[in-house]
Amino acid sequence: MREYVRMRNYLKDYLRIYAGNYRIKPPQIIILIFLLTLLILARVLEMDLVILFNESLVKLVMNGVLVLSLLPMLNAGAGMNFGMPVGITGGLVALCISVNFRLTGFTGFFMSLLLSLVVCGLFGWVYGLLLNRVKGREEIAGTFIGFSIIPLMNYFWTLAPFQNRQMLYPIGGQGLRPKISLDPYFSKVLDNFCLLKIGGFDIPLGLFAFYALICLFLYLFFRTRIGRATLAVGENEAFARLSGIDIAKIRLIAIALSTMLAGIGICVYAQSYGFIQLYDEPLSMAFPAISAVLIGGSTGRRAWIFEAVLGTYLLQTIYLLTVPLANEILIPELTEILRTFITYSIILYALLYRNRRGIVH
Amino acid sequence: MKDRELRDKLFNIEHLVPAVFLLLSILAWKFSGLSGTFVINQVLTRFIRDGILVLSLIVPVVAGMGLNFAIIVGAMTAQTALLFVINFQVAGARGIVLVLVLAVLLSVLVGFTIGYVLNRVKGKEMIVTIVIGFLANSIYQLIFLAGFGSFIPVVNKEIILSRGIGVRNAVDLGMYRNTIDKLWLLRLGEIEIPLFMILVVLLFAGILYYLLHTRFGQQVKAVGSGSEKAELAGINVDLLRIKVIVLSTVLAALGQLAYLQNIGMFDVYTAHLNVDIISCAALLAGGASIKSAKIRHALTGIFLFHTLFIVSPQAGQNLFHNAALGEYFRSFVAYGTIAFALVINIKKEEKDQEQG
Amino acid sequence: MEKILEIKNLSKSYNGIPALKNVSISVRAGEIHGIVGANGSGKSTLMNIISGNPVIRETGGYQGEIIYRGSRLQVKNCAEIIRLGVGMVHQEFALIPDLTIGENIKLGREETCRFTDRLFGRKYSFIDRRRNNEIASQVLKRLGLDVDVGVKIIDLSTNTKQFVEIAREVARSDLKLLLLDEPTAVLSKSDALKLLEVLVGMSRGGLGILFISHRLEEVQYICDRVTVFRDGEVVSRYKKGEINVTKLAGDMVGHQVYKANAQKRSVKATPVLCFKKFSVKMPGEEIKSLDLTVYEGEILGLTGLSGHGKLALGYGLMGMYPVAGEVIFKGHKLDRMNARTNIMKGIYVLPDDRQALGILPEHSLAENIIFTGDQVKYLFSRNPLGFIDWKGAYGYVEQAVRDFEIKCSSPKQRVKELSGGNLQKVCIARALTVNPQLLFVAEPTRGIDIAAKEKILKMLIDINRSKGTTIVIATSELDELKRVCDRIAVLVKGRVFKILYPDSPDLEFGLALAGEEGANYEGIRQDEELPEGLPEDLCG
Repeated sequence: MREYVRMRNYLKDYLRIYAGNYRIKPPQIIILIFLLTLLILARVLEMDLVILFNESLVKLVMNGVLVLSLLPMLNAGAGMNFGMPVGITGGLVALCISVNFRLTGFTGFFMSLLLSLVVCGLFGWVYGLLLNRVKGREEIAGTFIGFSIIPLMNYFWTLAPFQNRQMLYPIGGQGLRPKISLDPYFSKVLDNFCLLKIGGFDIPLGLFAFYALICLFLYLFFRTRIGRATLAVGENEAFARLSGIDIAKIRLIAIALSTMLAGIGICVYAQSYGFIQLYDEPLSMAFPAISAVLIGGSTGRRAWIFEAVLGTYLLQTIYLLTVPLANEILIPELTEILRTFITYSIILYALLYRNRRGIVH
Repeated sequence: MKDRELRDKLFNIEHLVPAVFLLLSILAWKFSGLSGTFVINQVLTRFIRDGILVLSLIVPVVAGMGLNFAIIVGAMTAQTALLFVINFQVAGARGIVLVLVLAVLLSVLVGFTIGYVLNRVKGKEMIVTIVIGFLANSIYQLIFLAGFGSFIPVVNKEIILSRGIGVRNAVDLGMYRNTIDKLWLLRLGEIEIPLFMILVVLLFAGILYYLLHTRFGQQVKAVGSGSEKAELAGINVDLLRIKVIVLSTVLAALGQLAYLQNIGMFDVYTAHLNVDIISCAALLAGGASIKSAKIRHALTGIFLFHTLFIVSPQAGQNLFHNAALGEYFRSFVAYGTIAFALVINIKKEEKDQEQG
Repeated sequence: MEKILEIKNLSKSYNGIPALKNVSISVRAGEIHGIVGANGSGKSTLMNIISGNPVIRETGGYQGEIIYRGSRLQVKNCAEIIRLGVGMVHQEFALIPDLTIGENIKLGREETCRFTDRLFGRKYSFIDRRRNNEIASQVLKRLGLDVDVGVKIIDLSTNTKQFVEIAREVARSDLKLLLLDEPTAVLSKSDALKLLEVLVGMSRGGLGILFISHRLEEVQYICDRVTVFRDGEVVSRYKKGEINVTKLAGDMVGHQVYKANAQKRSVKATPVLCFKKFSVKMPGEEIKSLDLTVYEGEILGLTGLSGHGKLALGYGLMGMYPVAGEVIFKGHKLDRMNARTNIMKGIYVLPDDRQALGILPEHSLAENIIFTGDQVKYLFSRNPLGFIDWKGAYGYVEQAVRDFEIKCSSPKQRVKELSGGNLQKVCIARALTVNPQLLFVAEPTRGIDIAAKEKILKMLIDINRSKGTTIVIATSELDELKRVCDRIAVLVKGRVFKILYPDSPDLEFGLALAGEEGANYEGIRQDEELPEGLPEDLCG
């Protein structure tokens, strides 16, 4: 009987800590209302909700890994990773190498992942060293490091000796094309792996399994000794230092991990999308990812896996719904404008809200 | 000890960065094969085009708020004023005056809002100004792509897209083009010197110099050096910071008007893009840092940065037979300069704090 | 004489903890009113309230009435109070580091060109730099200081900064009331004397002065009236002629009857930790070239006024701030002040600011207790990746919760929901996981209610007696130290000024805290030579 009471108390606490902790905040309310309005509009305009739903599942994973990649840095107190282009370009290098050797199917995809880890590990390490120099201002420094790596990598896309003709400019130009089709290689390998069809619904089980694997990895990471130290550094750096933790090392690990996950994220994104997009394309990818994790309920100081997943799904579904609706009212540009509007206002809100609580950085 | 002091003096960032820019500019110019007069004419044009915009960055830096990337919002208010005046077809001198008045009014309003927001995020102003810039851009697009013709009545049908909603991508500024650039045009051989506009830019520089040497300027410096101490010394820090941002935004709006009338063609959705990045990079190229900026940094910075900007595509073409490489080089220079300044300065700041 | 400032029944509390209770004082024109009190007696709070420091408003304002020159004072910020003719000399200096001496002295009151005055008004009028500098250097000369006013504040010594801080107020022509917060703390005796003479001269000219100082002999020397504060209350008032250093020191510390908790004993003088010329650069709490030996198995108290370095010792050992000098722990020199290696060697430091340095607020009680043991000594986990063995960990935590009577709903409760006393217990429990031989505790009872205080002090004694852990307690709570310590070191200006014993008389503590050597003090003029233990180089 005493055992039972104790168990019940544990369970209560567990719920209070991990679920009761989750609170819906104004931005989520607005987003939810917005989403509902869009859904009703879609219903009124007689759009096919089943197709939209199928698409939303793919979009979740397609962008989800990129969003998850924010977590190690965020939880280590290194801020929102506005320098995500660093990891993305690393992943793109890996993808290009795979395509150059005409690797197809899962071989190509997994080779890209492997190469991503190597390239992004290297990039992330340098990026981490830089960010360790600018403690407390990682976000602005990261933004510009991300901006600067784009033109730098443009040299690489232009000058690197790639051989595969399908990647190069067809005539005249020099270097890689801005948009390389993955159709002959590994386009949608994950999307179509174990695709479950029930009625009109398509459930991409393979894609989900991969996503779950990444989530599990992060879940376990935060439970290792280094993971626990990461959380402690992010929550109270002075405490961690006083307890004998090497802050610089932990931050470096977290930043490198974030960068590597961003590399994996772009591989997943590319195989779903069917194209590798080079040059200026990675420039603006950090912002939607960041706003996704904020919509999920993160305060911009720490974030949980659940928040990242939820936020990605909400944001991507909204994106998805705005396209046909904007077309319906004859201003197609509205989609993109609304997307950026949502993205940036959420980030601005988080920046303001975060500082107002007076947490010393 | 003496040697070290001397070395520090000669090789500090304030001198090093302009020196590197000078060296790169000269090298790139050599490879580009462009004629000296062409480059000088171009740089002079850039000087009168971007001068006021770069100057608008100085006061926030002195006030310790870092690079104000939200000057892009000031630029947008100027464009908004211009579009409204064009829409309601107010022509001639009356139009120009109306544009100026509207631009100043709008930018004061917007500057006040930005200043208020920045007071809530002390110490993180730069990232917030960047996000504000992006957000303002989408609001701007919303107004002119979707608002014009649906909520805002259209008088001037010429500037509207054929579908009846939204402003066209490009609006001709024929009536305003180069109205003042050609005033007092001085010719030295092939070099054309738009004396009047140069004087206008210098006038703004003079006004800023004057302002920084008044009690107001003294307060700005005090807040920039240590805002808590300044508060104790009897300065209303929050109000002062708002004033600083308003000043910066108004200057940016005026700067954008000078820029547009020089170009003569108004790309409604792109004219303001990168105004912030390029101006910041130019200021930093002159030897400023995110902690200290002087007027001479702005003036020399424009020359150094834009020389490199003008010659690098051609240099890329000649060196690698690919003009795009020169393009990449110049965007790398723009972003890289800012990234470099951030990394160097924040590190230095930390060191100072440890010593203090 | 006209009353310039009158304070009636002033009370102020921070988060429910009272800092000032029903304080009434007044300052007349031409009078120097001294305020004396130990740390936390409410002096700074009083200053902050009068000067309109925003901190007061942010923490909920104050109760009571302040009447300034006949009307009720209601200011929102420092700017307003300055405009009303109140000057303030801050202990931490309100000087702008990147401006020059001249600019600082004239800040907000710069001389401007007459022509532009008329054109744009004074605020936007061009500054006449030359005239400003002239005036500034004249003022400094009056204070007996001859420096180039074009030098930036950041390049000055603390001594000169203090003079500039005072010169800024002296230069004002509209001054009615001057508040001075420890203006002589960083000055040498001869410089202090110079300053005091200037102050006396100014008060003769009709200025009201409120003078906070812990140098009792100065207070005796220049003040017309003195008010002594203790624990936020006025405990005594003296008029000129009645002021006496011994009485002030006695009132400051107070007489409390208490029963000793720890048995008096003699500890063998085997050193466990030796500091030799040890310096810690902790801003505001600097330690300069300190020599101190800690004996094995003792409880050593460290006390001193705030700003004199008692907190810096532990942080210095953990490498939180830059250090210099030598530390010998159990016969071996510690070559690097690194938290991890020193924890491994058996030193542990509990911080004074528990909220900021002592806990992970969002983590659970259990996670907080096992943190250091887990991270540094790899306890509580079984595999190389370091996943926690929760069964073992909870066993340990539940034992600690029972032993220390930590009040919580379960070990999984988030630690930020606990009260101050329970947090301190969590911190101590965490320290014990790594089994330290030497434990530094800073302000162990700050912000904790009386019942919990007793428990925590008892815990510390128990740990010392049962495990033989050497404990160093740094606190300004003198009576607590007297109850638990074997020896008490009093720090002044970052050095050990005197080592006293729990049975030393109160008076001696009071004088030592104020940096005074003996009770038979004759006044300021004879004392040009320095007391023992306070070498010359400090006072230059």
